[in-house]
Amino acid sequence: MFGFSSLVVRMSSSSIVEAPPKGGFSFDLCKRNEMLSGKGVKHPNYRKTGTTIVGLIFQDGVILGADTRATSGPIVCDKNCEKIHFMAPNIYCCGAGTAADTESVTDMVSSQLQLHRYHTGRESRVITALTLLKKHLFNYQGHISAALVLGGVDCTGPHLHTIYPHGSTDTLPFATMGSGSLAAMAVFESKYKEGLNKEEGIKLVTEAICSGIFNDLGSGSNVDVCVITKGEKEYMRNHLKPNPRTYVSARAYTFPKKIEVLSTKITPLKELAQVVEAGDAMEE
Amino acid sequence: MSRFSPYDNNGGSCVAIAGADYCVIASDTRMSTGYNILTRDHSKIYKLADKCILASSGFQADMKALQKLLAARHLIYQHQHNKQMSCPAMGQLLSNTLYYKRFFPYYTFNVLGGLDNEGKGCVYTYDAVGSYERVGYSAQGSGSVLIMPFLDNQLKSPSPLLLPAQDAVTPLSQSEAIDLVKTCFASATERDIHTGDNLEIVVLNAGGVHREFMPLRRD
Amino acid sequence: MDTTLQDLNAPHSMGTTIIGVTYNGGVILGADSRTSTGMYVANRASDKITQLTDNVYVCRSGSAADSQIVSDYVRYFLHQHTIQLGQPSTVKVAANLVRLLSYGNKNMLQTGIIVGGWDKYEGGKIYGVPLGGTLVEAPFAIGGSGSSYLYGFFDQVWKEGMTKEEAEQLVVKAVSLAIARDGASGGVVRTVVINSDGVTRNFYPGDTLPLWHEELEPHNSLLDILNAQGQSPEPMNI
Repeated sequence: MFGFSSLVVRMSSSSIVEAPPKGGFSFDLCKRNEMLSGKGVKHPNYRKTGTTIVGLIFQDGVILGADTRATSGPIVCDKNCEKIHFMAPNIYCCGAGTAADTESVTDMVSSQLQLHRYHTGRESRVITALTLLKKHLFNYQGHISAALVLGGVDCTGPHLHTIYPHGSTDTLPFATMGSGSLAAMAVFESKYKEGLNKEEGIKLVTEAICSGIFNDLGSGSNVDVCVITKGEKEYMRNHLKPNPRTYVSARAYTFPKKIEVLSTKITPLKELAQVVEAGDAMEE
Repeated sequence: MSRFSPYDNNGGSCVAIAGADYCVIASDTRMSTGYNILTRDHSKIYKLADKCILASSGFQADMKALQKLLAARHLIYQHQHNKQMSCPAMGQLLSNTLYYKRFFPYYTFNVLGGLDNEGKGCVYTYDAVGSYERVGYSAQGSGSVLIMPFLDNQLKSPSPLLLPAQDAVTPLSQSEAIDLVKTCFASATERDIHTGDNLEIVVLNAGGVHREFMPLRRD
Repeated sequence: MDTTLQDLNAPHSMGTTIIGVTYNGGVILGADSRTSTGMYVANRASDKITQLTDNVYVCRSGSAADSQIVSDYVRYFLHQHTIQLGQPSTVKVAANLVRLLSYGNKNMLQTGIIVGGWDKYEGGKIYGVPLGGTLVEAPFAIGGSGSSYLYGFFDQVWKEGMTKEEAEQLVVKAVSLAIARDGASGGVVRTVVINSDGVTRNFYPGDTLPLWHEELEPHNSLLDILNAQGQSPEPMNI
């Protein structure tokens, strides 16, 4: 007779920490930062894409979707950013989490895939991108906050995966990520079915993103959609713009009066040095 | 395990502008918590007296408690004095009420708009524990950091330290003030995630109270 | 609210029920299909029974990232090993590799794994490799958060020398019992049967599982339940 749970309790108290790790990266400074913020030290705010990103498999391939809001705390710092990143001509990847992390990890893997294509002379496969991404994220033990939806069509057909910051991956027919993932998943869970055609697929993806845009404060602005099929792709930037400005004043607001100049002092630059040509030019 | 907190922040922005013979009080109608919208249709504006209107943002439960308390105090005042409270008096009452809970504050950010005894527009702006000041215009709440610089740029109010005292009312006409408020909120909604859905504008002048709504972005 | 958000950022973990059982001709592995991040079910149809070689599979529990990386490495080592050996690797070798990684990196890994398979030397074998990296050969092994509900059940019903059908029914019943009681387990039941004839994968949808004490019939919508009892179709109407 043998089982886990009883052992789990006993082991977990004694494991963790202890012997210094023999390989991998050191996260000591991350621990220090956690301790400092626990004591009330403020850390800089990163640009987060509190996001809704989704993907689904339809009859001819994969459709990816994303909103376009980037936030830093409660402030919107980009109203129309791009969250569907290029990985390879046949593979795209939606990113949620810290903007810098999603950008860098997708760019890095995208170049690795390009080199791999030069090396092999073959089209990239989605599983390759998946493995490279998960290896990188696992190495950093969740400190790179990138939550990704990876989709593409390769020689083995359409593929859709989700990748979590800790490096775990899932393979699904429809997937959502980011702060609006619950709102978007509610739409998918009630309306997704196998074998959707392109129009139905785009409509469902748009609806899921809109659900995130309107019900999740971290998501907003426009809908980006990317349709990938065998040997073809269609990147529809700002496929839908459901949030125009609601009021534009007829008045032109200007600075009410000129800024008063209190004093003026002009410091001239150094006098221009005149170089006089003298003697023969040096010859080689 | 995080400890229970008696407070929440339900977001929202409030603006009030005082004119020569009017006062504009406005706020959005979104109520949110964290990344969730609780309702798109919650008024943050409360009429305390005929010439006295309170707009508050922050924690909805404290807003409600504060409104009920002020309404009750105003009822008692009416019974004792057989008249409505003036806006300056209500301003002082609100300050006292907030400071009374100095060490367990109402988590609310208030602007009080109305007409004073001479019929001029007046705006009082507060912090959560009752520090207050009569100003020509003010913004409070989650979008205040975006709105206030714009109002300063357009309407810079005179310093209360100037002698002789200058009128705090803004030079705009009523329709210009309403247009300014609409522009403020449309812009704040673009950049503040807790502000949006609808704008409620209340205009107070010699003719009475007038209320209008304008849609804002809903994302 | 704050706690909900934090939960979404929590590492992906598999509050799981996993089972490995030997029978008179091989082994049966079983698992539920729920993967959660805190309160949220991130994947309701995940496959926690992972293939290492033709004849060896593992059931994964604990951190999804950790268990995936361990099984990825072991699969890679076993492929090399199989090529060098020129014949299929034994279950014992696979289990030993899992142990080697789990034990050597115990301070970084949060995963418990059950290794099961069939080889021509020892027949069907089940090995458990829990959190610290212990390796235990056993006639049956249970793991994950749902296993706590199953110890007594297995003490009572497990018998030496069951038939394949008996053993598979036992596994499905056990996982469905755990799903009924453990909030972190759910979805469907997946099984893998490994014996001298090869491997069979089976799948039991959640709405076909037996209903246990006080469980409700599956419905598409909460409204169905209310309508069935002749109540108001408006759930918010009190």
